[in-house]
Amino acid sequence: MVRLLRGLWRTNQRLSQWRAMRAIREALRVAYPFILVMALVDVVGQGFLSKSGFFFQIYHIGRWLPGIEFWQQGLQAVSIVVNGLVAVMVAFTTGHYLARTYHAEPLAVGMMSALAFLTLNVNYDTLGQGGHGNEGSQFLEVNLGPQGIFLAILVGLGVGWLASHLMQGLTTWWLHHRKKQLSWTGRIAWSLVVILSLTVATGYGVSWLVDGGINNLVYLALQTLSTNVGHDGWWIIAVTAISNGLWWLGLIGPISVAGNSSVTSLQNLAYAVQHGSGWGAPHPVTLHTLGDAYANFGGAGMTLALLIAIWIGSRQASYRRVANQTFLPNLLNLNEPTLLGLPVLFNPILLIPFVLAPAVSMLLAWAAIAWRLVPPIVYPVPRTTPGPLVGYLGTGGDWRALLLSLVCLSVSVLIYLPFVRLLNDEGDDDHAA
Amino acid sequence: MRHSWWRWLLVLLAVLVVFVPSQLWLKQRITQYKSNYKTPLNPTIMVPGSSASQNRFDTLITQLRKETKTPHSVLKLKVAESGQITYTGSIKRGDNQPFIVIAFENNRDGYTNINKQAQWLNLAFKDLVKTYHFNHFSMLGHSNGGLILSVFLEKYLAQTQNVTPERLMTIATPYNMESDSTTKQTAILKELIKARGKLPKKLTVYSVAGTENYSSDGTVPANSVNQGKYVFQNQVAHYTQITVTGDDTTHSDLPQNKQIILLIRQYLLKEVLPSKDRLPMTKRSQSNDVTETGLP
Repeated sequence: MVRLLRGLWRTNQRLSQWRAMRAIREALRVAYPFILVMALVDVVGQGFLSKSGFFFQIYHIGRWLPGIEFWQQGLQAVSIVVNGLVAVMVAFTTGHYLARTYHAEPLAVGMMSALAFLTLNVNYDTLGQGGHGNEGSQFLEVNLGPQGIFLAILVGLGVGWLASHLMQGLTTWWLHHRKKQLSWTGRIAWSLVVILSLTVATGYGVSWLVDGGINNLVYLALQTLSTNVGHDGWWIIAVTAISNGLWWLGLIGPISVAGNSSVTSLQNLAYAVQHGSGWGAPHPVTLHTLGDAYANFGGAGMTLALLIAIWIGSRQASYRRVANQTFLPNLLNLNEPTLLGLPVLFNPILLIPFVLAPAVSMLLAWAAIAWRLVPPIVYPVPRTTPGPLVGYLGTGGDWRALLLSLVCLSVSVLIYLPFVRLLNDEGDDDHAA
Repeated sequence: MRHSWWRWLLVLLAVLVVFVPSQLWLKQRITQYKSNYKTPLNPTIMVPGSSASQNRFDTLITQLRKETKTPHSVLKLKVAESGQITYTGSIKRGDNQPFIVIAFENNRDGYTNINKQAQWLNLAFKDLVKTYHFNHFSMLGHSNGGLILSVFLEKYLAQTQNVTPERLMTIATPYNMESDSTTKQTAILKELIKARGKLPKKLTVYSVAGTENYSSDGTVPANSVNQGKYVFQNQVAHYTQITVTGDDTTHSDLPQNKQIILLIRQYLLKEVLPSKDRLPMTKRSQSNDVTETGLP
């Protein structure tokens, strides 16, 4: 164990020397405050004002809050703009930071990488249909939100590197052949032309292959995987682990949470309604009854446990700050700010507990259900229900499920704790959140 | 730490503020799910009129099977005067739209007999619910069968919890018995009107009349069928009166009348008929029974 941790620490140190790694962390650091505000807006919007929100339902907010539609729509507008364009921001900041390390034009390169990212997500299918108005959106909007962060990072790195080198190369080439200095405009314009031609060609090519752009390629593959998980506990755990690994890479949300409406969940619900409880439900072990109920506190990777582990064991001021700031969104299973703020993404030390904690929780839940210690969850639960309450409410108020939830949470905290302590030794220089 | 005491209190308070309302919400949701849940089994209960046996609807059922191309299975019940029930036929496994015919050993006409028959119907109904566990059903009554069903709905249905009737179709049911009068109410009509507040509020009722001439189908006066509006109108969700004329419209022919079979398919069994078979009826009133499944 100690050797493993030491090895991890060394890997972490080596990786953070990499220019790309530093660029990613820096980019996420800059994007964090925006995402934090967004998450807090989402807490109110999704948890309190949306019809399917947990607090909306338990406090019957629709009945007593005047002008509910105004509030809903106002918050939705903010959410669409900031949350919907998070990936564009990340593309900008990644490109910007990388260009700065190459001493190229950071602002111009940042904008280039944001534009390049957008060209990859143009909805090529609607182009050339003539201007009949609103047949389809011009951009693949889904990919510009949190889902697109991985692609944004890749594009930011690629464009940041390419543009910086192009500019330098162009300058020297111009000096050699034209015997005079290439103007600032010239350098940027030429690089932009090259980069946009490359990305447009890529985006257009992909649009021939698959609807929904590059991003969709990955998501489609994952969705087919996750919709057919069936009842084998090992397979369910494996799929969740893969999914969490991808979250860590910034491929956020390939497996949709709260599978309340899948066929198996509905059959379970029908059974429970007839028999009064979930004992003996036809599908006791599914992605929903294991994953959504016991391995999703705070969102993918049991981040609620991570926050508690930070409170207990972290001496890093920045970590503690992020934990305090993102606690409320985590309680409602909106953990994007934690993932980007610490950051958990691309953090090799946190990858292990991020995958392990949910897997162990699911294993515990599976064992408990298989040994008939708890009934599976059968009643639909809102997506924004505080994680440890999902099991309790989903079983119709079975205290054993609440106990199991608390056990899963404690075990996950214990899993996170050594890794969080390991991070105490990290230099505090590049964290200023 | 001086502040820690406050902090713990705050945490406790926060937990309670979430926990207690969620507890109440949970109870509410579960009852809601229970009341909205519908069993796959959705039988149609058929009650024949006076002097008819449990085989009264055989022609109709054969015709329905042929036309709908679904093998609706048939269960026939006969209730003896002692309350003993004899079953013939069965509900086939996998058939969610079976027909259940309920007839009575004492199938005579008259006020006291009809009241007794409603009581027997209740016995049979309770037995069926106990055996087959359905929680929603539809009804078809021919002639006095419609009266028996109406009395049953008003007087006895409340004894069975959590079972909702969805649609009732009465064919040539004389709500005012043999009386042709539009002003004089017979005992049974008076009783039905008096207790109409107990009718299920979400029920949809169709009353079909046949006429050979302008006033009757040969047995039941059209005016007597018309009196049904005083029972159902403004009491149930929808009440629709339909009059069928033409061939096969004598009182006893009505259950196998082609038009009425189409009406049964379209309105009682809720089939989607090809447009050529659909009756060009006036548009039904806007339904207000949108049931929310309540999934988040």
